[in-house]
Amino acid sequence: MGEKTEGDGILKYRIGIPRAVMYYQFGTIWKSFFHTMDTEVIVSGETNKKILDEGATRVVDEACLPVKVYFGHAMQLAREEVDFLFIPRLVSIEKKAFICPKLMGLPDMLSAGKSSLPPLIKPTLNLVKSESRLEDFLQDIAKSLSFDKKKTRQAWHLAQGVYNKEMESKRRSFLENQIDCPGLTTIFLAAHPYLIHDRFLNLNIVDKLKKMGCRVILPEEIPPEVQNAELSCLRKPLFWSFGKMQLGSVRFIARQPGAKGIIILSSFGCGIDSFIDNMVVRYLKKMGVPYLNIILDEHSGAAGLDTRIEAFLDMLRWKESKDEDYVSTYGSYLGCDEGTARASGAGCSSTTLFQ
Amino acid sequence: MKALLEHLGLDVVVPPYSSKRTLSLGVQHAPEFACLPLKINLGNLIEARELGADAFIMAGGVGPCRFGLYAQLEKEILYDLGYTYESLVLEPPDMGILKFLKEVRQIIGTVSWWRVWQSVRIAYRKAYLIDELERVLQELRPREVVKGTADRIFSFSLSTIDRAKNNDDLNEAFGLAKQKLLHVPTDDNQIILKIGLVGEIYTLLEPFASLEIEKKLGYLGAHVNRSLYLSEWINEHLFHGFLGKKNMNRQFKDYSYPFLNHFVGGHGQESIGASVAFAKEGYDGIVQLAPLTCMPEIVAHTIFPKVTKECGIPVLTIYLDEQMGQEGVNTRLEAFTDLLRKKRALLDPLRTIC
Ligand code: SF4
Ligand code: SF4
Repeated sequence: MGEKTEGDGILKYRIGIPRAVMYYQFGTIWKSFFHTMDTEVIVSGETNKKILDEGATRVVDEACLPVKVYFGHAMQLAREEVDFLFIPRLVSIEKKAFICPKLMGLPDMLSAGKSSLPPLIKPTLNLVKSESRLEDFLQDIAKSLSFDKKKTRQAWHLAQGVYNKEMESKRRSFLENQIDCPGLTTIFLAAHPYLIHDRFLNLNIVDKLKKMGCRVILPEEIPPEVQNAELSCLRKPLFWSFGKMQLGSVRFIARQPGAKGIIILSSFGCGIDSFIDNMVVRYLKKMGVPYLNIILDEHSGAAGLDTRIEAFLDMLRWKESKDEDYVSTYGSYLGCDEGTARASGAGCSSTTLFQ
Repeated sequence: MKALLEHLGLDVVVPPYSSKRTLSLGVQHAPEFACLPLKINLGNLIEARELGADAFIMAGGVGPCRFGLYAQLEKEILYDLGYTYESLVLEPPDMGILKFLKEVRQIIGTVSWWRVWQSVRIAYRKAYLIDELERVLQELRPREVVKGTADRIFSFSLSTIDRAKNNDDLNEAFGLAKQKLLHVPTDDNQIILKIGLVGEIYTLLEPFASLEIEKKLGYLGAHVNRSLYLSEWINEHLFHGFLGKKNMNRQFKDYSYPFLNHFVGGHGQESIGASVAFAKEGYDGIVQLAPLTCMPEIVAHTIFPKVTKECGIPVLTIYLDEQMGQEGVNTRLEAFTDLLRKKRALLDPLRTIC
């Protein structure tokens, strides 16, 4: 491009990043990383109907909503005169856990399509065995874009550091505050990050809830240590990062004092949620915590969603006004020791919702 | 598995063959969007329970696919149903077969290691020989004069092999079965299609789950070969190749390049690799079987158009779930074999090979 930026480097490339799936979690890191590396970043626009429709024609029908949308974003970028598309193969972002089989195959699925795309930069991030494998990921990037290795490493750690600090302060403020605010209904939104932050896909549920007088808590606000502690009683550790986040944070919230409701949001056809949500629901039933399970697909309409949310909130508020104090039930089940399980199961069945 | 434990002196309750009832029990209690194998498996467990089983044994895994969580989720579901089950989950690679056998030994008291080893050997040999017979069966189905003859012999031999208590019995049962199969009259003057069957392991190996697609293809005049056989799977996953015999899957993985360059859980990568390998060997077509919502196979399915384009091999993908009807599948299989025949007629004798 030849333009100068403040950092006095020459802008080397224009690189496109689809605003979908893991972008919502790591986009800030990627953007500031490429920025430091003097690369111009083009992020596709917010999801809209056209992007979804276009994406849906490119993948098999059986694929889940987020994958379809991802394809749509990639195709939008293909028209933007970018030199490369950044399509990382994110296998695992932490030790002993994976993300999702479908996301592991994303770069291959994209390049199997008919229409031509710009060349893909597809570094593999796989930390399942050890966190030090991040190095391989960075090497991949450096190699495909002929970046200086050392500089790549520095830029990445800089970006990651900023991101970590941000998340930490978010979480700290969460822990310092009470879960329920007077006058507001507390709702915990259990969902994968890209469903929470993609306003098109989730039919703008977060703002909607806020407008309806709710305090909305998101899984990302709950520190990973807390989530992990909640999961430590499982007989077999979960091996999905999303699953750990979902189950761990729900368990934490469910046991906090105060009234609250939980909304579980997932995409139709999501393999991971088909299992995890079932575990979550079984747990919530035993704990007597009200929940609403929403499954999104291409045809989800705003009207239907509104009615369901309203009904749910009415029910929550009615319950609250009856001053039915949720005695938080201790002891838990979910793969824990069977003895306590029976005790807690019996103990809270009287408060089971939707009787 | 059953053979192994019986040899060790355990009373084994084998769930009845999967049936409509198994499936509906599973569907009733499993999460709606779970994959088919879980539903059937859960049904199996409930039925076994009704027959008095109080412990179950399953293979596990550490992801990335759902299979690794089957045992855990099932335990919870069963628990909520009021069944308490002892469970023994084989967890490769954290838990090798040795540790597993140690646990079994704990339940049943001391058995000499020699006996344990013998049991493992014989159980594996059974699986291996059954696979051998299946390969003969696959060859015969399209060729036999009276359809169904070979299948009848095969299912009879399954029970004789199952009953065999030692190596001699086993060899005899196998020899007899093979002889019988080799004497099935065949009609050798027809065009036989060659079809590779790939996909998710459970739907490949459990005829009930796949609505017997393999058999149907056979009767439609196709010699079917699968990407996976049970004994290969046991050897690779539970014994880490300990029982000898080279494993095909490693090679299939190599073929998956450049279409799918990373494992995606389950058998997604093998599906792609095996299809490329079949195409190279001059097969006429590929049928991919997958449970509905199966993640790895969805990845493979998305990539298949590229394989078809570059290797010139048609692929038919069939997703299976509890609502599948026989007729729908039959029509699709017929249409597919017709297509392959037409293609064969066009290309023969100059078959292009990838
Ligand atoms: S986690 Fe679920 S929704 Fe996300 S890509 Fe995987 S299957 Fe789809
Ligand atoms: S490979 Fe497919 S069928 Fe097997 S556990 Fe995974 S999603 Fe389910």
